[in-house]
Amino acid sequence: MLVRVLLQLTVVVTLMILISTALFVGRYRLRDTRVEWRSRIRAAAPITIALAVVLLFNSVARQIVPDLSWMIDWNFTEPIYDIEGEFILWLQSQATPAVTAYFSFIYIYGYVFLLIFPVVAYFALSNTRPLRELLTAYTLNYALGLLLYTFVIAYGPRNMMPDLVEALLYDTYPQYQHLTRQVNRNTNVFPSLHTSLAATVSFLAYRTREIYPTWNLLAAGLGVSVAISTMYLGIHWVIDVLAGIVLAYISVELAGVLVGRWSLSEWLDGHVPSLGAFRDSNE
Amino acid sequence: MSDSVAGRTTTEAAEREASGDDGGGGNGISRRAALASTVGLTTATSGCVRQLRSIVNRDDIDPLSLTITTLPADGDRESIRLAREIAAALEAAGIDTSIEMRSNEEFLRSVLINHDYDVYVGQHPGGTDPDFLYEALHSLYADERGWQNPFGFTNLLVDDLLESQRDVDGEQRREAVTSLLEALTVEQPFVPICTPIEHRLVRDDRFDGWDDGHLATRTGYLGLEPQTDGSGEQLRAVHMDARPSQNLNPINAEYRDRGTIADLLYDSLATDVVDIDGAHELEPWLAEDWVWDEGDDEAETEDQSSLTVELRPDCRFHDGEPLTADDVAFTYRFLADTALGGSATPAPAPRYRGQVAAIDDVEATDDRTLEFTVATGEEVAARALTVPILPEHVWTERAAAASVPGYRVAQGTTDAVVTDNVPPIGSGPFQFGDRTEREHVTLERFEDHFTSRDDVDLPEATVEELRVQIDPRSTSAIQLIEDDSADLTSSTLENYVIADIEETEDVRLLESPSWTFYHLGFNARKAPFGNPRFRQCVAQLIDKSWVVDEVFHGHADPIATPVAGEWVPEELAWDGADPELPFLGSDGDVDVDAARTAFEAAGFRYDGDGNLRVRH
Repeated sequence: MLVRVLLQLTVVVTLMILISTALFVGRYRLRDTRVEWRSRIRAAAPITIALAVVLLFNSVARQIVPDLSWMIDWNFTEPIYDIEGEFILWLQSQATPAVTAYFSFIYIYGYVFLLIFPVVAYFALSNTRPLRELLTAYTLNYALGLLLYTFVIAYGPRNMMPDLVEALLYDTYPQYQHLTRQVNRNTNVFPSLHTSLAATVSFLAYRTREIYPTWNLLAAGLGVSVAISTMYLGIHWVIDVLAGIVLAYISVELAGVLVGRWSLSEWLDGHVPSLGAFRDSNE
Repeated sequence: MSDSVAGRTTTEAAEREASGDDGGGGNGISRRAALASTVGLTTATSGCVRQLRSIVNRDDIDPLSLTITTLPADGDRESIRLAREIAAALEAAGIDTSIEMRSNEEFLRSVLINHDYDVYVGQHPGGTDPDFLYEALHSLYADERGWQNPFGFTNLLVDDLLESQRDVDGEQRREAVTSLLEALTVEQPFVPICTPIEHRLVRDDRFDGWDDGHLATRTGYLGLEPQTDGSGEQLRAVHMDARPSQNLNPINAEYRDRGTIADLLYDSLATDVVDIDGAHELEPWLAEDWVWDEGDDEAETEDQSSLTVELRPDCRFHDGEPLTADDVAFTYRFLADTALGGSATPAPAPRYRGQVAAIDDVEATDDRTLEFTVATGEEVAARALTVPILPEHVWTERAAAASVPGYRVAQGTTDAVVTDNVPPIGSGPFQFGDRTEREHVTLERFEDHFTSRDDVDLPEATVEELRVQIDPRSTSAIQLIEDDSADLTSSTLENYVIADIEETEDVRLLESPSWTFYHLGFNARKAPFGNPRFRQCVAQLIDKSWVVDEVFHGHADPIATPVAGEWVPEELAWDGADPELPFLGSDGDVDVDAARTAFEAAGFRYDGDGNLRVRH
């Protein structure tokens, strides 16, 4: 079941990325990329490794985070529900099959596309700064998100009001349960990492609006859709989504500060001359 | 001059007393102290101050607010829905109510182990025999951890009734049980709400025999007849609860509900054979036979009788070690005290407490024979034979106190009650194969099991492997069955999906009765939940018929008393409404005035804003 869902996801997202690359990136940037890809990869390598390490750690930590959370035992569901009341119910009362299909598509496919495509789009730029900022912001999102998940136990609306908030995604498309439970634990809803990562992409797309004006618009639309989908599908509270946007903002700002502050290659040049010489000769 | 000195002295005394007599109400003291010092100084006579003191030194009663502890929808959809309906009813009656959701094991840890709750809503494993009430409610167990009296309920009259139903058999016992149930209906140590009707989905094309054994018991998984050449290789179950993939300890309370999977790994001397319609009978399992000796043995007092149990020959544990009468005797000693005398006080297991308490003494007279001295009637004592038999060579060392460096572990916490016990070494028809947490636990047939012998006429494991796949939702579990990726749902399906299930030639919906029940449990250790009048009023705020329709979609039976159908006395049978404590309202809506009158008649008070004020 999981394999089938994964395969479907891969095919659809790959198609979306190919089309978007043709539309937004264009032939000339791809041509330059063919020439410059080595140096770009080298520039992005340190942060890519950092992101990979955080993701790897994340997948291991996910096994023990619930145990730690229950030892700390800060249960936020009731306070969240107290503050925001029944907004989710109102949102779900707008449900139609078409809207449900749209938001389910966005939650799974739109989200994955939104996260992967900017990596391709920014890799196609000679200036590697947007790419490095993007990967840094992703890393920060995961790292800070995991920290919050460790401290806060909160169940989503579908767990609190199963009769009123329909678990639209899992009841309409039960196969996705297999996919999402690989990634998510039901006590980890604060903040919405779906929202924070989507908002991160939207914020950065706004920063690069001069380079990719159309992508800026699409990313904004998709970002808002992802945020709404998490609530519409009964997975997150409004407060989770707001916290996700704050987390995205912090991550993007921090990424802006951090990127370019330290250069691994300069450090290497200073400390390991032979390696630097080797690299120069290679170019 | 002298007046003002006297006034000051009195003031100081009043302040001292005011701060000394009550450590709890923070703002009460400061208000009182302030009043006393400012007003006291200007008051001329000591008589006036005394009256003032009489007035200000009376504590107000606070409005009641309580928390309902329960499971989230992923854990038990019906529990959270019930909790929300009950919260709404309590709010209507002027009680400020909040809900705390905890994961399955954390919920049970709060309720059973730490007793850290006000009230809770959940499913009780119940029992096919009403004797489960003995461990659930006897006051001697109020401070123990586990399924034994999690309510902290203490009532000497109920203790007597709990004991007297244990001492007798047959018709006399039925009468004793009736008296007990009547007393419990008055006391309401917990509010029994309804008994669910269990639904499971099975595939008929690969196996036959689903209608023989109840799928919440071990025999449900034995004796199935493979219908195709390949189907004997693997029985594919879908389980909606991840806990069996995390912990397989048969005596752990937090990770077991009814312990069906643990029962496939561990044998007991006798087994309760329950068929799909709920009819059940206790039959010999690991014991070949048992014989009662009426109390003519001189070592026995007149209340005791003895039971001789003969084990089946040549039984072995999954690790190849022989299973002897010593292991059985060890098991009963160990369940009564998992510290085996090594702790300052006994540390009884959090499950099987009532069964083990029925046995006064057990002695292995040879490799295959045991002599039990029992303190109860035959019916109850025979049920003591259903506990899982543990290998002495594995569990002896688990009598040690669990330890975490630098942390003071709760007294009575032995390794035995907290171990994950993976891999489990039992003697049951299946042995442990493999597991991945939250994905699957796979059991393999234990070839040496006595059920596979020619001379034993009991259902045996007919499949090479039982793979229990974890899938947390009914909808995806149903899809697995429909896609022929699974043969049965071993957990019960959630009620809201049942109406949408389309049965086909191969896919069939099984319906079977349950001996579990949903209930509202009170923590009688806390005020006002120790007050039976309060509990009665709360019981009348729950519209049991309505929640059965609304929350359970009709797939449950409302109950006034928590025992299996055959034990319900006529006067406590459901007759469209609760026979003793009818709902105060209609169609789920609480009649606020009637509720208020009921609470007031029970001695509680309301303030001007309609909040119930209770000393707590």
